[in-house]
Amino acid sequence: MVSAYLADGLARGERVLYFVDRHAPAAVLSWLRSGGVDPDAAAASGQLRVATAEESYLASGVFDPDAMVASLQEEARDSLAAGYAGLRVSGEMSWALRDAPGLGRLEEYETKVHSVFAGRPASAICQYDARQFNPEQLRMFEQCHPAAVELDPWYSSSVLCIAPAFREGERVLQVTGTVDYQATSHLAAALEQTRQWPGDVRVDMSALDFIDLAGLRVLVHAAERLGEGRRLRVMNLTPMLCKVISVVGFDQHPALVVTAPEVMA
Amino acid sequence: MTSGTTLSRPGSDAAGLIHQGLIYDTDEQFLAATVPFCLDGLARDDAVLAVTTPANIDLLRQQLGDASGEVEFIAAEKWYDAPGRTLAAYHRYVDQRTGDTGRHRQVRVIGEPVWHGRDALETTEWTRYESVINMAFADCPAWIVCPYDARVLPPPVVADARRTHPQLVTGPTAESSVHYAAPARDGVWHRELARPPQDGRESVMRFGADLTAVRTFVAAKAVSLGMSATDADRLTFAVNEVATNAVQHGGGTGQVTLWRDGRRIVCDVTDSGRTTAGWYLGYLPPSPAQLRGHGLWAVRQLCDLMEVQAQRTGTTVRLHLTL
Repeated sequence: MVSAYLADGLARGERVLYFVDRHAPAAVLSWLRSGGVDPDAAAASGQLRVATAEESYLASGVFDPDAMVASLQEEARDSLAAGYAGLRVSGEMSWALRDAPGLGRLEEYETKVHSVFAGRPASAICQYDARQFNPEQLRMFEQCHPAAVELDPWYSSSVLCIAPAFREGERVLQVTGTVDYQATSHLAAALEQTRQWPGDVRVDMSALDFIDLAGLRVLVHAAERLGEGRRLRVMNLTPMLCKVISVVGFDQHPALVVTAPEVMA
Repeated sequence: MTSGTTLSRPGSDAAGLIHQGLIYDTDEQFLAATVPFCLDGLARDDAVLAVTTPANIDLLRQQLGDASGEVEFIAAEKWYDAPGRTLAAYHRYVDQRTGDTGRHRQVRVIGEPVWHGRDALETTEWTRYESVINMAFADCPAWIVCPYDARVLPPPVVADARRTHPQLVTGPTAESSVHYAAPARDGVWHRELARPPQDGRESVMRFGADLTAVRTFVAAKAVSLGMSATDADRLTFAVNEVATNAVQHGGGTGQVTLWRDGRRIVCDVTDSGRTTAGWYLGYLPPSPAQLRGHGLWAVRQLCDLMEVQAQRTGTTVRLHLTL
């Protein structure tokens, strides 16, 4: 997902910064190569820069949110001045798991860093590996980010938006609006794309206004096509729709797992 | 498939449905047919289900003794909830016991429908339900015996049992019913829809390709007529399925008419296509692999009653939800 984000930025003529921590800089270049992008030319021209956490977040030896934000602001300004279409930044935040000096100011940083990106052709993904951070930390970081969605919608119309998103360390396909007979094919196309995702595929229906039976059938069909024991996990479907799925027997498909919203205690 | 049974099984090599009426006047007559039916089924490792009155469940349990532990008993009041849901529940039962994952070659069912407390519309639709069983389960390895208690049932209900069941049981033997009328036989089970009100109590909307307006209309009207938001969602989903059929296969346009009739909300969806749709539309279980035909099967289960009437000017599907 991150390499797609970076490759997309390069293709759009944006300047791309990547701060590694868990991976070697060379690994990032090889992801891009396997994604069909030539990172070497971009690195040579300065369009792509891959740095380590020590060179970036912890450049002064202490984590200083103000210095980091100022440096990103400068990067954004310079990138635009140099003729790039925008600035795209992504950072592996696992360095924050080590006892780095100034770490207590991480939350402050995540809040302040918005000012760099707000209102500019610039964007950022802060990568928090859900397996390494505890749930409380993840919740806090989530609250600091304006939206846990960072990729462009795969389909968007006046009544329906289908967008990949990233939430609580998981990829998820977010379906917003209405899926009736006129939109079934768009849902099918989006689900087809999610087959490339590793493991189970999650679909969040919390912002769904309506779906008809043909739309639900598309979910079954997509679940069946995942194969290899993978499942399509459809989350936050209304109890009425869960009932529909059971009366028509769609719940008999082992690859489809449907859950209603959790009831708040 | 088993061949030759204690009870006569005409065409004994057939794997399909046997559907028999059991009209009884005494407890002894009820037991004389149902006890050997259960015991013979258990001996052949059939799944055995008895859906009947609490009094009959007690009688059967006493007579079956230890064997009653292998029979599944369900109170009829709970099971005979709405024709579409009940038919689907039987279908699931048969499928789970005899399908790929089931371990039985056949299921045996004692199914005593509930008739008291039904109004004229419900009685007619439950009668059609008994008739459509012959079509919906035609190829299923199911043997269904439907008891009718002549001591308490209105004579027309008993008379209809002879029309809806191909065979009638007396004690351990069965014979063909001379009054049997197959569900698809022309005109026999046809019933004119009662006319919708035309005095301003009805809300009418015409529709074309855009169904967003139909959904908004139905949800708003249903709530204003006293329906809960959850039930209005259910009705909206059902109407959308029927309207989608109208747009895609029924001439492209249609009309929704919605009104309240006593304790029911009634909604007609009429299309503009010429079809020969049968009254039993939505009663026939779709196979899991088929791409279409799940819509009305779902609608039958989401609504309390559904009627279908094909005319030269278009087909009307009438949905009833009880408040």
